[in-house]
Amino acid sequence: MTIFQEFLVLLTIICGLAACTSTAIERTSDATTVPASVTNTYSEPNLASSSSVYFSYDNYNIDSIGSEKIKTLASLVKKNGANVRVEGHCDERGTREYNLALGERRANAIAELLIINGVSSNKITTVSYGEEKPASRGSNEKSWSKNRRALIKTF
Amino acid sequence: MKIFYKITFSTLIFLSTYIYSELRIEITGGTNEPIRVAMVPLEWTINTVPSLYLHEVVKKDLESFGEFSVLSPEDMLSYPTLEGEVSYRDWRLLKVDYLIIGSVLESEVIGEVKIAYSILDVSRQKNIHKALISGSIKSLKRIGHNISDRIYQKINGIPGIFSTRIAYVDKPVSGDDSYNLRITDIDGDGDSSLFLSNQPILSPDWSSDGKQLAYVSFEEGTSRIYIQELSTGNRRALKHERGINSSPSWSPDGNYLAAVLSKGGNPDIYLYNLRNNTWKQLTDHYGIDTEPDWSPNGKSLIFTSNRSGSPQIYEINASTMRIKRRTFEGTYNARARYLPDGKSIIYVHRRKGIFHIALHKLKTGRISILTDTFLDESPSVSPNGNVIIYATKDRNTGADVLAGVSINGKTKFILPSASGGAREPAWSPILDKY
Repeated sequence: MTIFQEFLVLLTIICGLAACTSTAIERTSDATTVPASVTNTYSEPNLASSSSVYFSYDNYNIDSIGSEKIKTLASLVKKNGANVRVEGHCDERGTREYNLALGERRANAIAELLIINGVSSNKITTVSYGEEKPASRGSNEKSWSKNRRALIKTF
Repeated sequence: MKIFYKITFSTLIFLSTYIYSELRIEITGGTNEPIRVAMVPLEWTINTVPSLYLHEVVKKDLESFGEFSVLSPEDMLSYPTLEGEVSYRDWRLLKVDYLIIGSVLESEVIGEVKIAYSILDVSRQKNIHKALISGSIKSLKRIGHNISDRIYQKINGIPGIFSTRIAYVDKPVSGDDSYNLRITDIDGDGDSSLFLSNQPILSPDWSSDGKQLAYVSFEEGTSRIYIQELSTGNRRALKHERGINSSPSWSPDGNYLAAVLSKGGNPDIYLYNLRNNTWKQLTDHYGIDTEPDWSPNGKSLIFTSNRSGSPQIYEINASTMRIKRRTFEGTYNARARYLPDGKSIIYVHRRKGIFHIALHKLKTGRISILTDTFLDESPSVSPNGNVIIYATKDRNTGADVLAGVSINGKTKFILPSASGGAREPAWSPILDKY
């Protein structure tokens, strides 16, 4: 009797006992293969200008420097009829999804100020990238202050 | 000394295998007195040469979260394969709590093997589990993980997680912007790419059957939610609405995704019906509502809202729509996730300016801080509720790394990544049934 047979006999004997746990053959799954896919992604149209407005932490109020910038930009845009894309960004502190919401508030604040300054709302699109596209890497206030921004792009 | 040895040992394993894979578990914190297990090398009764040793897979699995200490074969006094050959005295001398013995057997199915094994309780001198399992000889490692899961289940009474996987987003520090949605076995094997883009990817979430992932991609220049099937790689986009489309969370029955839309002017929680592709609004507040997560029984959801002035966790009853505030301690509590029993939640909690992962018992409101790393976020719970994986910063290099902590806070580990940019971990449900 081979050990293999011996084992099966033993198995059969033990399985006869009520105390025995399940011995039905259970099949484990095979290794899964995951096919990757790559996308043709968004590319920016030709930029005419790009300017930044900076914000303080967890805040979407535009300061006086920012307001002046927007005012100048608005008059330019009105003159040349450019389209405006406003991107809201955050520093890395806090959760990614909450920062996505905060970045949208920043982008919206800029868009509203552009509209107040006479830019037509149908010329403006907004997007929030939250903390996903930092301008500066580094986990310190120097980097963070550069990342809490709205980018106003015209094209 | 025992713990010191253990840490050194895991570090060695990590160093020797690091170059071959993206993520590896490296235990960094001390543990409780571990359960002592011995697995005798299984008797190999078939003609082909084994590609790996199952007892080595099981040893590495069981030791990976510090809960078990597994005796090496060179320290054993005897090598039984049958219960009748076991001298319990040998194993008591070695202070072994549980002994695993068995054989790898020929299968009638070509390309497959059968494994017969038993778990013996040494102190009670009793067979507590006996099983015969089969699988492809090419997937011996997977069989090993399955055996580890069963041993874990029999000894601890809760499911093992060694066959589970982790989805995460990888953004290498160097080179052009590239965002890579990847999936890896929890031991770092089989790390493969699911989706690659030059625009941000975030918030991966597993369907409860483990067959699909929902996530957010900016590939169209704005946030949009996608669902990707793992077996085929096929993707489908959810109906896009103006503004933010983000933070997907599968309902336990797989029929809905809770998510965030800001089409109403501010972010609110919506439900997406996957059958008829329609959105239905769940919360309506001028503040930020985001980061929904379904309770395991599907009856309620938790979410983050700043309606009180600072981000806090709220719970909404999915049928009555009644909303209850759940967190009151601190001024930043966000991205909560239920534990599998639905009785506790974990979330990002700011204390003295530092972001930690906190465990919160819903009944008592008691909070415990589980982590002491820097800028902790995106916590995800293992399907047995025992381990949390989260994203953090390496204090020395500033790299984005994934880290883990046991739910009792006692075992801590990091998963070093080769690219220095691992983030947004999402733990799969139990994938390999046993």
